[in-house]
Amino acid sequence: MTGRVCRGCGGTDIELDAARGDAVCTGCGSVLEDNIIVSEVQFVENSGGGSSAVGQFVSLDGAGKTPTLGGGFHVNLGKESRAQTLQNGRRHIHHLGSQLQLNQHCLDTAFNFFKMAVSKHLTRGRKMAHVIAACLYLVCRTEGTPHMLLDLSDLLQVNVYVLGKTFLLLARELCINAPAIDPCLYIPRFAHLLEFGEKNHEVSMTALRLLQRMKRDWMHTGRRPSGLCGAALLVAARMHDFRRTVKEVISVVKVCESTLRKRLTEFEDTPTSQLTIDEFMKIDLEEECDPPSYTAGQRKLRMKQLEQVLSKKLEEVEGEISSYQDAIEIELENSRPKAKGALANLSKDGSVEDTASSLLGEEDVEDEELEAAASHMNQDFYRELLGGGSGSAEAAENPEGGGRALALESLLGPLPTAASLGISDSIRECISAPGRDPEDTSGDGELDLSGIDDLEIDRYILNESEARVKAELWMRENAEYLQEQREKEARIAKEKELGIYKEHKPKKSCKRREPIQASTAGEAIEKMLEQKKISSKINYSVLRDLNSKGGGSPQREGTRPAERASSRRLSRRRTPASRNGADPGACVGKRLRPLVSTQTAKKAAMGEAVLPSPPALGAELVRPAAVLVESGPVSYHPEEDADEEEADEEDGEPCVSALQMLGGNDYGCDGDDDEGY
Amino acid sequence: MTPMTPLSECSGIVPQIQNIVSTVNLACRLDLKKIALHAKNAEYNPKRFAAVIMRIREPRTTALIFSSGKMVCTGAKSEEQSRLAARKYARVVQKLGFPARFLDFKIQNMVGSCDVRFSIRLEGLVLTHQQFSSYEPELFPGLIYRMVKPRIVLLIFVSGKVVLTGKF
Repeated sequence: MTGRVCRGCGGTDIELDAARGDAVCTGCGSVLEDNIIVSEVQFVENSGGGSSAVGQFVSLDGAGKTPTLGGGFHVNLGKESRAQTLQNGRRHIHHLGSQLQLNQHCLDTAFNFFKMAVSKHLTRGRKMAHVIAACLYLVCRTEGTPHMLLDLSDLLQVNVYVLGKTFLLLARELCINAPAIDPCLYIPRFAHLLEFGEKNHEVSMTALRLLQRMKRDWMHTGRRPSGLCGAALLVAARMHDFRRTVKEVISVVKVCESTLRKRLTEFEDTPTSQLTIDEFMKIDLEEECDPPSYTAGQRKLRMKQLEQVLSKKLEEVEGEISSYQDAIEIELENSRPKAKGALANLSKDGSVEDTASSLLGEEDVEDEELEAAASHMNQDFYRELLGGGSGSAEAAENPEGGGRALALESLLGPLPTAASLGISDSIRECISAPGRDPEDTSGDGELDLSGIDDLEIDRYILNESEARVKAELWMRENAEYLQEQREKEARIAKEKELGIYKEHKPKKSCKRREPIQASTAGEAIEKMLEQKKISSKINYSVLRDLNSKGGGSPQREGTRPAERASSRRLSRRRTPASRNGADPGACVGKRLRPLVSTQTAKKAAMGEAVLPSPPALGAELVRPAAVLVESGPVSYHPEEDADEEEADEEDGEPCVSALQMLGGNDYGCDGDDDEGY
Repeated sequence: MTPMTPLSECSGIVPQIQNIVSTVNLACRLDLKKIALHAKNAEYNPKRFAAVIMRIREPRTTALIFSSGKMVCTGAKSEEQSRLAARKYARVVQKLGFPARFLDFKIQNMVGSCDVRFSIRLEGLVLTHQQFSSYEPELFPGLIYRMVKPRIVLLIFVSGKVVLTGKF
């Protein structure tokens, strides 16, 4: 400490005694400093004779136990919850990550993701293990390591889809776009596991080439990359005379045998499979195939169409056969003796009617030319029908089965969809104009019975005897449940008698605190303080004075953190009245106004109707992430804050303050509290 | 990159509605046991789920009826059908002796499907529209596209089939 001047005599000759920790002036002898903090390492002797350094290790992140000077009393047992969570998370990440052989950089990145997740409260309601696994997998994806979600699921013994759900949510909330998985990433890993010895590199290269070909043939879209890798490696191995069986490959690649076979079959269907090994290594076919699901879908469509045509043809043939049958009968009738004149006439008429009805109301046909005429008519009719039928089939989205009876239906097919289209248009209007009430609410909610057939409804209700039977069956089925209910009721009745009945209301899911409705800042602060029970030492009258002078601070919803911050600020100022009363109040008012405008702007931008407080919190928490400002250092100097605000005030206009540009100190304060930085 | 609506809508592809979910408030407390025991088409398993599951044939739909009087109706293929079905269920409940009304009928969700008849390269789509799409072949073979306006979620598959779903 050079350059120190003694207060007593003004001399500059100061002596420092490290042993006693004093700074003494040699001129007048006055002690300038006492108990100087030294940065030396001290040693103590152990019982075994060895010596060890005195001191504690303090962890790099998170608040450690602050070493108490002089006292030894246990102040603040344990760390804050947030620090504990982060420490736990770090430990788990390291444990899991080391099992996956991830390097330190990846583990640190994973821990950063975890910190972000915790700050966005994404760990709430989820198993810690899932969140950790999701963070690790996110790192694997962004770094491009050959780790699959399946590996993590294997380690944790958790369903891979559950992990996938957590992972997708995390990626969405943290706005991290993980690049799509490239199956080529997995080849080296699997090739190594399949033990190709020296030819490992060659086999890998061949497998990569096969994969490229598969990609161009649209085989890899929508498929698990591990399955494709397995198929490619199997073929590559065979090409290089390695006898790897399907079973070995699937044990390494972790897919099902049928999946692998399917991939091989699909590859077989591509033209590339027809090339020889040498040709394949040299030539690249130009044409690309369609994805297998697309070709399968098209094939199914064609099959359906063929079926329809076939069924129509069948109907046709049947119709012809029946008409031939009728014709034969008529001939037989005619060939019989014509003695019964009237009867014959009758029968003739009858048969004519029969044929007419069987041919669906055709014109009358002569007996002699019945066959020819019938077949001719049939052909005409069916051609007509086919033309009409296929036309309607093309028009309708779901072509109904052909056939005479169903032709009408196929014609009517498009109508409902068109109707529903019309309605969906109006629904789109409703979306864009949400204020419009649906006009079809009948009065005060009475049931509109139009279009409901009472008989049909009655059919759904059981009569007495049926009801009794069903009741018996149901009682038998649910006997245990009824028993439980009875016991529960008995228990409640007993407890009520004894007077110790605790009304266990069904637990409502953590209800968010309602936003404080207040007309002035002071009122809002008071209400918030009541809720939070921060301090009973705050002088409310002074608070009120402050804010009344500030005046005109706008009504706001959900600026709880602002209130918290301002109350903290105020509570730190022991004597708020010492400052010129108006200014802090104005500051508070002014400070809150820009906050309101930003928040409403944000709300408009988000355009969602959610509870006011969550967006406020969410908005703040998003902001720091976006702005990436370390909130710690910019924290708490109430005097500086007030000064800045005063400067602003002097300018006389609500200009954007530096604090606002930095993302608002209040957000920083919030983080400050939580992160413990 | 903002997705653009094509100028001409005459691609001829029209999605088919597959399912509509709607809710209605019958505005009276219901005795589920009575309903289950007196209705032909109702099942009630209180241990498993706290609602009566009722079905009608025309329009072919299923309803979940809760003891608070609220009801969920699913399976209809058009908005009008959904409303008609809900009214039929309310009528059944009325006939069983409860003063059921028909308040706040609201369609909650609609599901439709269609086929664009050409194959779609999902990796390319996820690259260009990454803020809207989510494609995880390890988890699901389709791409999940969350459109902002209108608020619809589309499941897009490589074969060209698309499933659309959205709630108001």
